[in-house]
Amino acid sequence: MAAAPTTPFLDRSSRRRLLLHAAGGFGAVALTRLLAAADEKPGSHDGLHHRPRARRVIQLFMNGGASPVDTFDFKPALDRLHGQKFDPGDRVESVTGSPGFKALRSPFEFRRHGACGRWVSSVFPHLARHVDDLAFLTSMASKTNVHGPASYMQCTGFTLPGFPCMGAWISYAIGSETENLPHFVVLPDHRGLPYNNRGNFSGAFLPARHQGTVLRLDRPEPIADLRPPASARFITPRSEADGLRALETLNRIHLRERADDSRLEARIDSYELAAKMQLSAPEALDISQENAATRHLYGLDNKVTARFGESCLTARRLCERGVRFVQLWSGASGASNNWDNHTDVGKELPAIAASVDRPIAGLLEDLKQRGLLDETLVIWTTEFGRMPFSQNKGGRDHNQGTFVTWLAGAGIRGGVAHGRSDEWAWKAIDPIWSYDLHATVLHLLGVDHERLAVRHNGIDRRLTDVHGHVIREILA
Amino acid sequence: MSSSRARSLTWIAVLATLSRGVADETHWAYRPIPTVAPPRPSDSGRVRTPIDAFILRRLEKAGVRPSPEADRRTLIRRVTYDLIGLPPQPREVDAFVSDPSPDAYERLVERLLASPRHGERWARHWMDVVHFAETHGHDQDRPRENAWPYRDYLVSAFNADTPYGRFIEEQLAGDVLFPGDPRGTIATGFIAAGPWDESSLRDIQAGTLDNLAAQYLDRDDMVTTTMATFTSTTVHCARCHRHKFDPISQRDYYGLQAVFAGVDRANRPYDVDASTRSQRRELEAEAKLLEENRVPRETLLSPRTAAEVTRWERANGERLASWRVLDATSFVSAGGAIPVEQPDRSILFTGPRSDKDTYTIVAPTGLESITAVRVEALSDPSLPSRGPGRADNGNFHLHGIRVFAAPAAEPSRKTELALVKPSADFDQAGWDVTKALDGNPKTGWAIYPRVGRAHQAVFQVEGSGIEGAPPFPGGMMLTFVLEQLQGGHHLIGRPRLSATDTPRPVRASTIPDAVGRLLARPPAVRSDDERAALARHVLAQRNRERLAALPGRGVVFAAATDFKPEGAFRPAKTPRAVHVLRRGDIERPGKAVVPGALSVIDGLPSRFELDDPSDEGSRRAALARWISDRRNPLTWRSIVNRIWHYHFGRGLVDTLNDFGHMGGQPSHPELLDWLAARFRDGGGSLKALHRLMVTSAVYRQSSAGREDAERIDASNRLLWRMPRRRLSAECVRDAMLGASGKLDLSMGGPSVRQFVESKGVHVTPVVDYAGFDVDSAASFRRSTYRFLFRTLPDPFLATLDCADGSQLTPVRTESVTALQALALLNNRFVVRQAEHLANRVEAERAGIEPRITAAFRHAVSRRPTREELDVVGDIARRHGLANACRLILNLNEFVHVD
Repeated sequence: MAAAPTTPFLDRSSRRRLLLHAAGGFGAVALTRLLAAADEKPGSHDGLHHRPRARRVIQLFMNGGASPVDTFDFKPALDRLHGQKFDPGDRVESVTGSPGFKALRSPFEFRRHGACGRWVSSVFPHLARHVDDLAFLTSMASKTNVHGPASYMQCTGFTLPGFPCMGAWISYAIGSETENLPHFVVLPDHRGLPYNNRGNFSGAFLPARHQGTVLRLDRPEPIADLRPPASARFITPRSEADGLRALETLNRIHLRERADDSRLEARIDSYELAAKMQLSAPEALDISQENAATRHLYGLDNKVTARFGESCLTARRLCERGVRFVQLWSGASGASNNWDNHTDVGKELPAIAASVDRPIAGLLEDLKQRGLLDETLVIWTTEFGRMPFSQNKGGRDHNQGTFVTWLAGAGIRGGVAHGRSDEWAWKAIDPIWSYDLHATVLHLLGVDHERLAVRHNGIDRRLTDVHGHVIREILA
Repeated sequence: MSSSRARSLTWIAVLATLSRGVADETHWAYRPIPTVAPPRPSDSGRVRTPIDAFILRRLEKAGVRPSPEADRRTLIRRVTYDLIGLPPQPREVDAFVSDPSPDAYERLVERLLASPRHGERWARHWMDVVHFAETHGHDQDRPRENAWPYRDYLVSAFNADTPYGRFIEEQLAGDVLFPGDPRGTIATGFIAAGPWDESSLRDIQAGTLDNLAAQYLDRDDMVTTTMATFTSTTVHCARCHRHKFDPISQRDYYGLQAVFAGVDRANRPYDVDASTRSQRRELEAEAKLLEENRVPRETLLSPRTAAEVTRWERANGERLASWRVLDATSFVSAGGAIPVEQPDRSILFTGPRSDKDTYTIVAPTGLESITAVRVEALSDPSLPSRGPGRADNGNFHLHGIRVFAAPAAEPSRKTELALVKPSADFDQAGWDVTKALDGNPKTGWAIYPRVGRAHQAVFQVEGSGIEGAPPFPGGMMLTFVLEQLQGGHHLIGRPRLSATDTPRPVRASTIPDAVGRLLARPPAVRSDDERAALARHVLAQRNRERLAALPGRGVVFAAATDFKPEGAFRPAKTPRAVHVLRRGDIERPGKAVVPGALSVIDGLPSRFELDDPSDEGSRRAALARWISDRRNPLTWRSIVNRIWHYHFGRGLVDTLNDFGHMGGQPSHPELLDWLAARFRDGGGSLKALHRLMVTSAVYRQSSAGREDAERIDASNRLLWRMPRRRLSAECVRDAMLGASGKLDLSMGGPSVRQFVESKGVHVTPVVDYAGFDVDSAASFRRSTYRFLFRTLPDPFLATLDCADGSQLTPVRTESVTALQALALLNNRFVVRQAEHLANRVEAERAGIEPRITAAFRHAVSRRPTREELDVVGDIARRHGLANACRLILNLNEFVHVD
């Protein structure tokens, strides 16, 4: 039998009750509680730690480890070294084996783009037009060279399973702007779930309501259990309406002698919210309402880009309707159909890059046109980078040493780059960790990452563990 | 852990505590458990068990009255869910409600404690605590097909009321401490219960930093689980630095890591009974003596052994061919491998390992006619898995063999020999030796999984010599062509060729040539040395047969020290060195540590003094004894608090896994100590502890709110009433099956997959819960027996706050969401149970109201009121009984227990 979550703040009965009551609502539950515990007044920031710059987040996760030297981190030094033994002076390791450690130049042409003159390779022709809106973090680093732990690290801040991901923390901290849709929505690649499956979207020890709700756009019912199963013929629209009314009546009879228990009331409310979600969700996901120009903008009219384009367009629609955090995945787990280019970067990367290039560019443009980019934070990231030396027929092994993330939109200064990698993009000179990225995202949402903590098994757990610095260099 | 910059209130509180100079020895959790006498409350008439005395005394002090006893229907529903996790049957409710005897409740409790369902309910709690699941839980979330025996162990341990001390010892070191008992091995599934990072521990290059770091993290999980589960301490806080709040040093922490430095999580065979196990031990010891040639000569030459040899010779009266091992003069690998001649005339192929290859080997025989040829594939330490093949798994595939003969004097006059009646000492399933002669390049002879040892194939030569061929004065020169076309390096690594003119039939044999030569000599003329050599062979043969004849072994995914190496994942021959890692950084190793535990417990050693530190089992045994020691106050306080939590919704200490400075304070410290001492001194009987708790007056109170009490103690910390609790995800599911009449109560065995599983792109399968047939047999088993997928948990149960197995879950969270409402309304499982419930009551009763009454009784153990009958009856009349039943399964009352 369950009790309320164990946190130091729950010890006071009055607050406990407040929380339990709020369990059926969608407010900024955790922060209100945190502030109350610290005797701070919510006051001017709507219950947040400080004035937020962003209202919502879209995260684009390139599953498999997108290669920095073949996309955004131009390294001419590799041209000179090509084919020679890669010997930077320190010990070189390769987790899946790279015989001879032969340096490998990028097979792609790099050009400068935008007013900022950012180097971008030929795999992202559409995205390259937006570089003046993007802030690049060019020395991201991870603690591991292995997909599973590295994906966990980028999603949850820990290399082990069992920790809440960023979307769950944000839902926990500031709730959502809508009661009619889930707070935190995940749109996986149509080919399957990423490494770690649902572990990457887990709420772990946070209440279940904060875990990512997975939408499968390729299925007739993208949200599980939204409607009665078609096989249940005894359920009709009439029986549904009458039944829900009767259920409330019965639950209110039960409540009469238990009026002090706010959980029971919250549960009655949850059925009302469920009914609202049944109406809102299909409308939110109905992209047939979009005109031809918009569909073209996202690449829905092209086989290569249609699937990811659909995810991007859906993300925009969800954001417009108040969903707090939308996470999109490009690439499933496994040896192909993702960014894990072990065999031949020259062949593998263009295909996967093309599938997201136009849709992401379209998303940025559409958000801008609709005035949503100012309040929506867009993040493009991956779990690690790839080696400057070759494997197989011109592929690259995993590299925790350095990789690229970019941010755009709310509160972000466009056209800048922060962090340096070495001359081969082998290691970061001034590493930026997931902690810093997560701290920055929370900061933009009005949350101080050091004050967002939940006690679990004896430790005050944070998204940023015991680390993290807000990256002020990229803030507008 | 909060950072130094953290400004959270908790930090400030702790600093304040520490600055007041609270020394560790005085922290309540580390103090020895004192002898406490139950107090004497003035209202002693309400005291049913000593627990009540403690609770009442506190209530009296606070000026709060306890609540009256709950009605019998509420009581039976409450205690039945708590003790067996299922709703009571209507007839059980009737019997109890109308039972006039004063001990009706006590007898009900006894019945429930004796029910096999009790172990199923409490095993599920334990699975939360130790984060048991049946997949690895990282990116390669491979199913563990043999994890379930540990779950069955838990069910039977709770049902058998295994003394708690023994329960601890079995799970940590049962294989060492109770070697005769198979449960001891199965119980170490505890150590393997958590996630395992297959990519980092098996698939990447051995010895890389990622690989080493993963080993530390793997042990971290074992240490964390052990110490959180049994001692409610947060030792994992000391991985990167000294524990910030509790007296736990990095040396303590890494000493605990050293305890587990010799074990890994892997499949482990076990004998299902003790006598088989002891027979196996004896036979294995004998096999070792024989292999190392250490059997005394007297034994080998004793009359008893001689009789054995005679019997064996008679039974194995095969006439062995006399083989001439050929000394090849030319050997060519089409794939460019480099042949190296060996002293025993075999040829070891080294160097380039092409995908496919054809060997051409020419050798004189010195024989003028032959009846058969033999191809041996010998093992070699330089080959993968010791060979005999060059494939990674030690296998080879021989797709075709052709043999040509020529007179030694005229080597170019070759004639192909017709090979017939092939035989081999071992055939891989589907790859028997006849396939080497079928002319099909896609089939052939192979030997997997019997790798690492020699194999042979014999081919008879048809006719008398060769049809129409000239005689071979000076002997035949043979050319062997061995085709190996499978790909993937399935090549013979060390072939040796022989020929014979022994009259047919000539068959492959498992008898070595040397032994064959001895057998060819009449017994009377054999020397003592020869008799000893023969006896060794016969004894070894008999030993192998007896081992093979033992009953089959079970397999459990558990703590293992001996398993088949795969990639970087290899058993530790001796415990791995464990170093203190500065800042927890694998690149900054400090001193090596010795196995130990915490330094903070008075009278218990913090460093284990072991006779043989290289014996990993003794390390775990020492920790098990350290924890189960009666002087360890953490252990006994921890478990009674855990059990209290499950009965009262909240622990006496509400941080179940943290009794440190940052954890909660006991609400009733004397009661906690009294319970701990009573439990420990009473033999560690969990059933006695349950009995003590659920027969108390506190437990039997009503859960109704009371303003007078709420004004003083709104959170009910003093337990002036019984808290209302929500059913766990599994209880909701099982209760639906209970109500619908579909519950299958069969126990144990492999977990039921309540999903459709198909092959994924990589290791992790694709798991489809929506496609599962909710009317299939697997659907009706108790939730305890569900297959638990770590990264793909059942979304229906996850929505209901089920623990997902990626983290220790001492306390489940409780959320109320719209998605939960949708799941309970629309999930196919629920909808079908509503229909089954409707069918059930239709069969049981006539008329709408009696049927609705029956449905209420099945679902919430009571009759509906007139008002409720009207509301539900209206739905049933207008939309059918199934819709009415769907309502009932969605009631607040259905998922809450008063």
